[in-house]
Amino acid sequence: MTKTEYLDRLAAILKKNQIPDAEDILAEYEQHFAFKLADGYSEEEAAARLGAPELLAVQFEKRETHTGNAALTRLGLVFADFSFGLALVLLAAFGIVLIALSLACAAAAICLITGLNIAGLIPSMPYGCAVVMGLALLGLAVLTAVGCVYYFAFIRQLIRSFGRFRHNALASVSGKAALPPLPVRALLSVRANRRLRAVALIALAVFAICFVLGYIAAALSAGQLSFWHAWGWFQA
Amino acid sequence: MNAQYKKGVLELCVLSLLTKGDHYGYAISDSLSRRIDIADGTVYPILRKLKSDGLLTTYLQEESGGPPRKYYSLTALGREVYAKDRAEYLSFAENVQKLLEDDAHDEN
Repeated sequence: MTKTEYLDRLAAILKKNQIPDAEDILAEYEQHFAFKLADGYSEEEAAARLGAPELLAVQFEKRETHTGNAALTRLGLVFADFSFGLALVLLAAFGIVLIALSLACAAAAICLITGLNIAGLIPSMPYGCAVVMGLALLGLAVLTAVGCVYYFAFIRQLIRSFGRFRHNALASVSGKAALPPLPVRALLSVRANRRLRAVALIALAVFAICFVLGYIAAALSAGQLSFWHAWGWFQA
Repeated sequence: MNAQYKKGVLELCVLSLLTKGDHYGYAISDSLSRRIDIADGTVYPILRKLKSDGLLTTYLQEESGGPPRKYYSLTALGREVYAKDRAEYLSFAENVQKLLEDDAHDEN
């Protein structure tokens, strides 16, 4: 059998068996012939070594019989989208709270350190204590900011992973190839992860140390542990 | 050897070849049929199946003086599946060998 005869026969059987992407398969076999001929084989030898086209054609899998009903799957996905959307709104809301917390801590820290007292919102205390407390709040602000980064990376990965699930659900009813599922856990690069962790650890240490020091300093200067009573913070 | 059985093992062989680097279809077919007695054409249906299972991806690469070649490359899933199937096959093969050797011993 010559190359053309072989490929024609293979093409005819692939078509009869309704194998998808037949041109792609034929291109591979054509390339195989090209390599074999370049190695000094004759077309007949190369064809004989390939095996009978009838035997090869049955080894290609048919288009997957569509498991499930496409319309039902789409309907199901509408509900899945709706639930996922709702969950996303809740998750995003918590993310916004986290951002607000971080910004509030940072603003309070700046006020304490620079001695700004906008509209008398900051209760009176010795400036030394205010600076230490300000540093503690700054640490807390950085810590929550790192938390935000992780949190939004997680949400992003969640969205991508849901998108992949959606794609595969649709692929399974339309006979297209499914892609491997994506992990839900956030994927940051090793370097970014290491840096974020270092920043978070430093911020945590600053917060813990300054908070304890600030408390001790305030208690000493007020002369009692509940210094807020001594300074009359909560009196109208 | 039973064709269906052979096919499963051949999938493992193809994955093994691809762990060492990306190859085009002919190179895989050639190195397999050198070592195992199979028809040259058998490899292509296997490559196709592994691709549709998401274990392989393909990309085209220009070659000097010729049409672009289709290269096959393992996906992360492919690596994972290979590691698992390889361990399973090795322990299976070991047990079969032991069993067959015991058998030969009994006959003597």
